Amino acid sequence: MNSLDRLIKEKLQREIQAKTRRHFIKDCVAGMGGLALGSFFMSCNSFMGNKDNAKIALTERDINPLASMAPPFPAKVKSVIYLHMAGAPSQLEMFDYKPTLHKLNNQACPQSLLEGKKFAFIRGVPKLLGPQAEFKQHGESGNWVSNFLPHFSKVVDEVAFLKAVNTDQFNHGPAQLFMHTGSPRLGRPSIGSWVTYGLGSENQNLPGFVVLTSGGKTPDAGKSVWGSGFLPSVYQGVQCRSKGDPVLYIDDPKGITRNLKKSTIDAINNINKKEFDEYSDPEILARINQYEMAYRMQTAVPEVMNINNEPEHIKEMYGVQPGKESFANNCLLARKLVEDGVRFVQLFDWGWDSHGTGHDTAVDLGLRNKCTEIDRPMSALLLDLKQRGLLDETLVVWGGEFGRTPMQENREGQEMAYKGRDHHGDAFTMWMAGGGIKKGASWGLTDEIGFSALEGQVSVHDVHATMMHLLGFDHEQFTFDFQGRPFRLTDVEGHVIHEILA
Amino acid sequence: MEVIQQLIGRLHPLVVHLPIGFIIAALLLQWYDRKNKEWSKIIGLLFQWAFIFATIACISGYLLYKGEGYSFDTVKLHLWLGIVTALFSLLMYLRLTASSKIDFIKRVPVVLLSFSLLFLISFTGHLGGNITHGSDYLIEPLPNNIKSLLGVGPEVYESPILQEENWEEAILYTDLVQPILNNRCVSCHNEKKEKGELRLEEENGILKGGESGLVIESNDPDKSSLYARMILPLDHEDHMPPKDKDQPSKEELDIIKIWIANGNPFNKSIGEIGLKKEAIQAFFPKAKDDTYPDVEVAKISQDTIAALKKKGFHLERISEESNFVKISCINKPSFSDKDFNLLSSVKNQVVYLDLGETQITDAIFEKIGTLPYLTVLKLDNTPITGKNIETLEKLEYLKNLNLMGTNFEEAHLHKLKTFKQLQIVYLFNTPVKKPDQIIHPKEGELFIDYGGYDLPKIATDSIVY
Repeated sequence: MNSLDRLIKEKLQREIQAKTRRHFIKDCVAGMGGLALGSFFMSCNSFMGNKDNAKIALTERDINPLASMAPPFPAKVKSVIYLHMAGAPSQLEMFDYKPTLHKLNNQACPQSLLEGKKFAFIRGVPKLLGPQAEFKQHGESGNWVSNFLPHFSKVVDEVAFLKAVNTDQFNHGPAQLFMHTGSPRLGRPSIGSWVTYGLGSENQNLPGFVVLTSGGKTPDAGKSVWGSGFLPSVYQGVQCRSKGDPVLYIDDPKGITRNLKKSTIDAINNINKKEFDEYSDPEILARINQYEMAYRMQTAVPEVMNINNEPEHIKEMYGVQPGKESFANNCLLARKLVEDGVRFVQLFDWGWDSHGTGHDTAVDLGLRNKCTEIDRPMSALLLDLKQRGLLDETLVVWGGEFGRTPMQENREGQEMAYKGRDHHGDAFTMWMAGGGIKKGASWGLTDEIGFSALEGQVSVHDVHATMMHLLGFDHEQFTFDFQGRPFRLTDVEGHVIHEILA
Repeated sequence: MEVIQQLIGRLHPLVVHLPIGFIIAALLLQWYDRKNKEWSKIIGLLFQWAFIFATIACISGYLLYKGEGYSFDTVKLHLWLGIVTALFSLLMYLRLTASSKIDFIKRVPVVLLSFSLLFLISFTGHLGGNITHGSDYLIEPLPNNIKSLLGVGPEVYESPILQEENWEEAILYTDLVQPILNNRCVSCHNEKKEKGELRLEEENGILKGGESGLVIESNDPDKSSLYARMILPLDHEDHMPPKDKDQPSKEELDIIKIWIANGNPFNKSIGEIGLKKEAIQAFFPKAKDDTYPDVEVAKISQDTIAALKKKGFHLERISEESNFVKISCINKPSFSDKDFNLLSSVKNQVVYLDLGETQITDAIFEKIGTLPYLTVLKLDNTPITGKNIETLEKLEYLKNLNLMGTNFEEAHLHKLKTFKQLQIVYLFNTPVKKPDQIIHPKEGELFIDYGGYDLPKIATDSIVY
């Protein structure tokens, strides 16, 4: 009993310590304001009566920050799968066919193209490098796809290409940040965070924004590319691993049973409920909800992240390798997550930085292997979503952080043994597929060597505006107040790209 | 000084009611006293007060007109009649006061003066009301059919709209610029209410400018105060329109900018100026979203929403603009046929129903048939076989039906072909056999997606370069 007395005494002391002069003044002010407000609303029924009525004034979001909300406008899609090829894939070997570049192979690049341009590695006068792949037109749309992507060329009619996307960043980190947060500098929320903040999540047992990586490394820009920036941290991406535990420490520790865990959480929540009855702080309810969700996630996440139960023909179609970390596994997981109501699934695949410094980064060798790695899974993803009736209500986006030069890289001004291309952000290719997208469309045209845009140039902000539009937002109205001003994903720019919308 | 003048001016609506009250009180007293004639002294005194305050009201009214930029034409009649009212009050006072030495006043009949004052007070007051509230103020609340009887149509705010067929022939000024000015500026800058001595309702006014000079510097929007003041920060003193008024959209501002940058032509067409369609995209009629029925339904009450959520349903409105909802059992896998009754209170609002991976049976079809506006129906991964699915035929908006992963039997497939609006049915992973040849239907016809897509192995799959 003695120890219990001491505990109680300590608690009381703590409580007194916690009350500072600031608390007093703050409470006074709030109290006075409250009194005034109370008398103001005397005639208003919902503010009178007992405590239960008072609770109704809380919004659903106060209790559950991931509670789903209606979009401002009718949405075409309810979820997004974003496939990011980290390192920047070469559009000139995959989608942007330039026969003239082939003819000009090995010729010195005209000085006029180099003036005023910044390159990451190219120095002096580089030589032009013809396409290292063979191109053909495919499908009814007749869009060009190279022989590096034989499977994708069969589903090409499902997608809409943006052939002249433009970014003003030429290094991976800032360019990735720009692509995912709308700003090349740290501190802004990622698209996935904006979307989960705006729409919440349907499934109560899973996070709303899941990130999966493959290729052996995470993106250069670090976890900020799926960070929540100035939005509440509950909206940041939850990175899941396709190998080992999907989320670190998701299993209960040794000796802790599921029941024990449950009663622990119940006990904590009971205390929290009492605390709430006393202080009516909605943060407490949010915390209670978080505990419960975490408990449910302990079973729900491993379940959805398990691809072993998928039928064999599905596994074959994606080309999955269970137990390994691979883009194919992640594509299958992306489908499963979207099927289970996850709002935003972000895939990063590392290894696309084809500078030509070695075998793995040569545009005719390593790049081709990378293409083989993604070709089957991303095509299978589109087909699988389609047969499940999910492609109608999902947006699939594919792209890198920038594109690559039509010139062969000449690091330090030297000719290099392997064929590579330097970073280039003036005009590169992305594609989108899914609900609200005009199937088989292609917008944007680059010049004869694929160096700059001739027509239909779109910016990263335009891509974001289009994604927001499909999710039911006006990107100019969707803002969050921070540091004294409203912020938006597209800052002060961005136009919806109507040319690729159905 | 100017501040005090303005302040006094703005007190006009207050002060003006004093003489009105005095005159009416005096007239009433005259009526009561018409036989006995005992109260003349008091009545006279009332008219004296009326005169004094009417004079003050005239002065404050004049200051209001000066300070707020009303044009003289608008206030002319009200102003003169106000002065006449004050004079008539004086006359009446003199007429009633016995001490009056002026002879001819004695000869004026009191009744004439009374009726004149009654008329003056009503008419002047009405004119004043028109100036502050607008001439349609009284008529506005009347129902539209009575309004049209009176010959006044209902006024609607309309933003300019270009037509797909002939947008290049539209005149930039007439069809975009002036309508924008009409919507955003003209309520204060017109011939009646010429604030800052600026009129923007037509060409001459725009070119003439206002008290601080020209508002347009041809080809230089940033130096043209017409544009420059509209893009100032909202809190800036010189920002136009005033910050409590509706603000022009970004697209509207761009149009003003383009117009000035191109030398503010008054009769050149959009095509002649060479504008691209992208620049004016916002002014084309917006394509209507036709995913869900174009029908108005009642809003679901917060209590009903809360109750359904408590029962485990996922429920969200399809957009903030619509009362239609999506309902899903994603968090309620235990849902079975009998639970359907829980949804009866929202049956008119459900357009999207996801019962995938629940315990429903074929008995559910009859119940689903009671959702008149249902457009998307997901029954995937449930034990249904399709018996009685024909009861869904009456759902005239049903477009998208997902039967993937069910026990749907081929025998029931033909029933779907008579569904009117049905566009797509998903049958992947069902006992229905995929036909060898898949016919792609024409736009608007039913497409059956049997799924089972495959990416056959090819040689390059395993080549490593």
